[in-house]
Amino acid sequence: MEQVNIIQQVIIIRYAEIHLKGKNRGYFERVFSVNLEKALKGLRHELRRTSGRYLVTGFADADVEEIEERISRVFGVHSYSFGYLVANDLGSIYSAVCLVAPHNGTFKVETHRADKTYPLTSMQLNAEIGARLLEERPLLRVDVHAPQAYVYLDIRENGVALVFGTFLQGAGGMPVGTSGKGVLLISGGIDSPVAGYMMAKRGMTVEYLHFHSYPYTNEQARDKVADLARILSRYAGSDTLYTVSVTHIQEEIHKKCAAELNVTLLRRFMFRIAERFARQRDGRCLITGESLGQVASQTIEGITSSNAVVTLPVLRPLIGFDKEEIIVRAKKIGTFDTSVLPYEDCCTVFLPEFPAIKPKLSFIEEEEKKLDIEGLVAEAMTSLEAVRI
Amino acid sequence: MIYLDNAATTAPLQEALQRALPYAEEVYYNPSARYHGGVVAARLIAEARRYLTQTVADAALFDAVFTSCGTEADNQAVFSAGRRGNVVATAGEHAAVWAACNELKNRGTEVRFAPLRADGSVDEAALLSLVDERTALVSVVHVNNETGAINPVAALARRVKEKNPRAVFHSDGVQAYGKIPVRLTRDIDLYSVSAHKIGGLKGTGALFRRKGYTALQPYLFGGGQENGLRSGTENVFGIACFYYAAQSRSARINEDAARAEACRERLWSLLDPVRFVRLSPRTGTPYILTVSAPGKRGEVLQRRLWDAGVAVGTGSACSSKKPHSRVIEACGYEKEVLDGVLRVSFSPSTTEEEVVAAAARLNEAAAAE
Repeated sequence: MEQVNIIQQVIIIRYAEIHLKGKNRGYFERVFSVNLEKALKGLRHELRRTSGRYLVTGFADADVEEIEERISRVFGVHSYSFGYLVANDLGSIYSAVCLVAPHNGTFKVETHRADKTYPLTSMQLNAEIGARLLEERPLLRVDVHAPQAYVYLDIRENGVALVFGTFLQGAGGMPVGTSGKGVLLISGGIDSPVAGYMMAKRGMTVEYLHFHSYPYTNEQARDKVADLARILSRYAGSDTLYTVSVTHIQEEIHKKCAAELNVTLLRRFMFRIAERFARQRDGRCLITGESLGQVASQTIEGITSSNAVVTLPVLRPLIGFDKEEIIVRAKKIGTFDTSVLPYEDCCTVFLPEFPAIKPKLSFIEEEEKKLDIEGLVAEAMTSLEAVRI
Repeated sequence: MIYLDNAATTAPLQEALQRALPYAEEVYYNPSARYHGGVVAARLIAEARRYLTQTVADAALFDAVFTSCGTEADNQAVFSAGRRGNVVATAGEHAAVWAACNELKNRGTEVRFAPLRADGSVDEAALLSLVDERTALVSVVHVNNETGAINPVAALARRVKEKNPRAVFHSDGVQAYGKIPVRLTRDIDLYSVSAHKIGGLKGTGALFRRKGYTALQPYLFGGGQENGLRSGTENVFGIACFYYAAQSRSARINEDAARAEACRERLWSLLDPVRFVRLSPRTGTPYILTVSAPGKRGEVLQRRLWDAGVAVGTGSACSSKKPHSRVIEACGYEKEVLDGVLRVSFSPSTTEEEVVAAAARLNEAAAAE
């Protein structure tokens, strides 16, 4: 064998549900590989696809931590492993095995042979490699049923083999961009970034739309939302935060309508504006961080009243989550610490003392007649700003 | 932009920048270097130190440690002097002293805060009653940065020392230095100042120290600069700017103060008496006028004013977690007043036209919300 001394570090990336997609598989794979390339941008690497998985090679040792961090955020990655690409002779394979195998505890060798002409069968390879390891590492023991560590051998067709250890769990889900586009109503709170994350995980491209009430809310609050969107964009991709001022709308509601409906009415305006924004940008749905009953406006009556003013579907991926469950996810995503910074968002400035918990649609519509709905929405749309994040 | 937030920071003085520029461009040498270039830089620092010291005290009795800011000077004073017994400070301290004292508390030192009068000055009798034979440090802000009230630090220091000669007396002079006459009397041991409040640059401060006070502790260790009290390569350009800015401001300190006082009173006379109440005392620093528009939100007014071309400070934040200024609250005002606090602060270059225009914007903003 010519390549005896070649041993190359490699990251093996396996994808999850893409193979379920039948005739669309090619499309899903293309989006997935574009997303992987985007994630690895700026770091030296080569990415290629081989029979149902991706291999990353040619990266610098110093970049390994960053590459892992980035891969762990790409949706569609089911699992990944660090390993070595070597010539498929026993000597080369064994030298790679020594790099991935543990020094003590229990282990098991598992071989997959794509190259059916390889002189040793899978069982023979397992036995051979296992025996050598046991001989050199006296603290190791074999346990074929519940080993503490695995050593995987994958004998490829073209004279090479992959040797790797642990399967690390990927972000799961579907490649972002394969499930259409949605508009996330993002506030400065804990929930909405998590909602955006959940939809991106299912392959949706997420656009971020934020409502502010300057000068009642401050620019720091907007910067905080931009920070949240930036964290979210590591998963969801979009690089722009859109903002719309609802100051005048809030003032009008405050001036003319029943105080207990302040939030209900404002939310209806936000939904109208978000839908209009979505249609301009080919968005197919609205996404909110609502969780049933969490606050007065998130009762089923509140949700009914908001849904009544739009025709696009409104996705609420957190609807069944408790606050604690949302917080666990926010911490995992990395948005929690930013979310809890104390800046006031839109809703709290004009907050009534006793908001309506079960607003009647007829009452809401009656109160809303006091407002120039179309005029206010159109005016708000002119305040649309794009912030690069 | 009509800039009336000069107590937060003020524009660097052009003349000071110009004079200091050679110390950035040409004399960029490390002041610790033993060759001529380094010596020139070191001489400038020594000259600045002598000059700044003699603006506040007899240079034979005091010297100065250059720091990175007023906060660092305050911290060095508090943590050096507050290591035993108890510490007495006022409810009107700037956060640099306030938070440092609270940290002392966490470390086991007893800290006592003296209450304020309505104008923001400390209740002297209450302060003195807190001082006892175990008091290690008394720290009293010279000019209250939120209301502008002036504490009579020399008199207070005298009475503190009468009660406990061993207590160290420190004063935060950040809002006083270069603006009102400052003289460090025999009873004052430590005095903190900052460059960027008087036309120097951010990143430069100083702690004046009575030469007999030897307990000052370093908090940065390294090359032993500043007599071992503040290691780290000196900020030569910043110190030069501080020096020249102090020269400019000291030369006309009384005229500037008189002009600022005229601005302050003129502004107050133009404000809508129905919408505004005055929190700043007439006897306070001429450079600060703190008012409140009761029932309004200071932070919202502040943003409206910025949009109208006027920059002012505020004593409140819309944050629901910490909505009011701790210091104004300690003056005893109710919520309505606390919500609407605005701090207008002047510089020697503030003009009457600016004051008149700003008053109109203030009245409009208070009427709008």
